[in-house]
Amino acid sequence: MARRTLALCRQAPYGNALAREGLEAVLAASALEQAPDLLFCGDGVFQLVPGQQPAGIDQKSLQRNLQALPIFDIERAFVCQRSLAQRGLSLDDLAKDGPALHPVADTGRLIAGYDTVLSF
Amino acid sequence: MKFSLAVYAAPHSSQSAASALRFAQALLGQGHELYRVFFYCDGVHNGSSLATPPQDEPDLLPAWQALQAEHGLDLVICIAAAQRRGVLSDSEARRLERPAANLAEGFVLAGLGQLADAVAHSDRLVTFGS
Repeated sequence: MARRTLALCRQAPYGNALAREGLEAVLAASALEQAPDLLFCGDGVFQLVPGQQPAGIDQKSLQRNLQALPIFDIERAFVCQRSLAQRGLSLDDLAKDGPALHPVADTGRLIAGYDTVLSF
Repeated sequence: MKFSLAVYAAPHSSQSAASALRFAQALLGQGHELYRVFFYCDGVHNGSSLATPPQDEPDLLPAWQALQAEHGLDLVICIAAAQRRGVLSDSEARRLERPAANLAEGFVLAGLGQLADAVAHSDRLVTFGS
């Protein structure tokens, strides 16, 4: 049986290279037909906020990577509800053009259900 | 048990880089298998042969190399992350027309597929740094 893998996206989109490089690792794994599930938590939920204009700080947009996820067979992603609430966000505030977003209340239980966790 | 490590931390910036080395030494010492160490993000600096830390500070590179030689470890530096940060093999330096190569002996450059492969073939993946 295939191992179930979860990738955690924990970084705000442009402050740390791990946000971009994490998504690149996810896309690379998906290209090899080992697509992990995704959980956006902590500041990682900011990756999902639409209307980012990173050109102003000479950064490439991460949203193109997020929009590409469904093409790579990642059609849904989990979002930590508590992380959203702590940052004054709700599911309605998040981008609708990437994977379908599923709120999760108990992330510990979700994570425990996987064989491997990639932490980005 | 079969382990793989993902190292995101640069030496001399974060304790995580040294912790990864110590964890590798400990698990091999206890008879476990280390399938691969994948250096990603700033972790690629672990594979630079050009760092010259002061003599009274620990130098992780010779320790990684000794462990690699003793156990035949697969020490993989992500090639995309390494190109961004300037860790190049001889052939990459020539191909990209850069004045120097610095990939340390015992390390290899490879793609992100090696991380996915490590996940698929290891009982445990342990991440250091970020």
